[in-house]
Amino acid sequence: MEFLTAYLTANNIIFFILAAIILVFGFLSVTTTKILRAATYLFFVLFAIAGLYLLLTYEFIAAVQLSVYAGGIVVLLVFAILLVKNLGEETEKVSCQKKLVSAIAAISGVVISLVTLFGFGFQNNESADELTANVNMETIGHTLMGVEKYQYLLPFEAASVFLLACIIGSVVVATNLKKEDKK
Amino acid sequence: MSSGEIFIVVFITAIILVSAALVIAMLISPRSTNEQKGEPYECGIPTRGTSWMQFKIGYYLFAILFLMFDVETVLLFPWAVIMKSLGVMGLCSVLFFLFILVLGLAYAWKKGALEWK
Repeated sequence: MEFLTAYLTANNIIFFILAAIILVFGFLSVTTTKILRAATYLFFVLFAIAGLYLLLTYEFIAAVQLSVYAGGIVVLLVFAILLVKNLGEETEKVSCQKKLVSAIAAISGVVISLVTLFGFGFQNNESADELTANVNMETIGHTLMGVEKYQYLLPFEAASVFLLACIIGSVVVATNLKKEDKK
Repeated sequence: MSSGEIFIVVFITAIILVSAALVIAMLISPRSTNEQKGEPYECGIPTRGTSWMQFKIGYYLFAILFLMFDVETVLLFPWAVIMKSLGVMGLCSVLFFLFILVLGLAYAWKKGALEWK
């Protein structure tokens, strides 16, 4: 019992609950035959991942996860799904051969990640703890806006050009589709 | 009792209380079903056909523009926190950042992507 209570701290329990949510809904979103439900399950997965970031006290990344992934990407996916014809029909059942091949691919992925994780030899390094504990918004801001070594103003500006390219690309594609829609 | 033990006790109690309430309600509540209860609206014109239909492409365009400017606000957050200490230099770089993105908005506007047709 003592071992159990030492292991079951509030942090660990919350982690296990979040991990269970991520695994269950991730599995459901892959196995469901209704495509809109898959998007909904994906939303729950992304939401729970934001919870994991909060558990690690990375508030900024949690906020990004919520606003960009759980907010933006899922909305985009849902709209993309709603553009599809014959939406109400269920997707076709996958053949046994495909199931076998994808199962082998998934299991080999799991094996590779597990081997890498256990081979890495994590150390309880205090200097590393200090480094990660002090990542607050001020640090991120100074890193993003400075021009010294290990500061990234140029990539920040390059990101704006990248976003501009994305906007122009999406407008070009969508306006072409609009014209086809009218015909 | 340590805080971990208290957490476990409270957690298990919460689960038992909620599930007990649900199970008791399921066991002893009276039930009646009829066709009208399955309808989506209580009153008004009966619905026809399925609710699944193809949406207009315009929705997708708005969603993707929303996503772009969503990412933009995310990149602006770290600057906003330390705005005062960065001073004019930081303001200039962010204004340049915004200028490039406003170009994208202007392009979308000119192409008529923001109009709802």
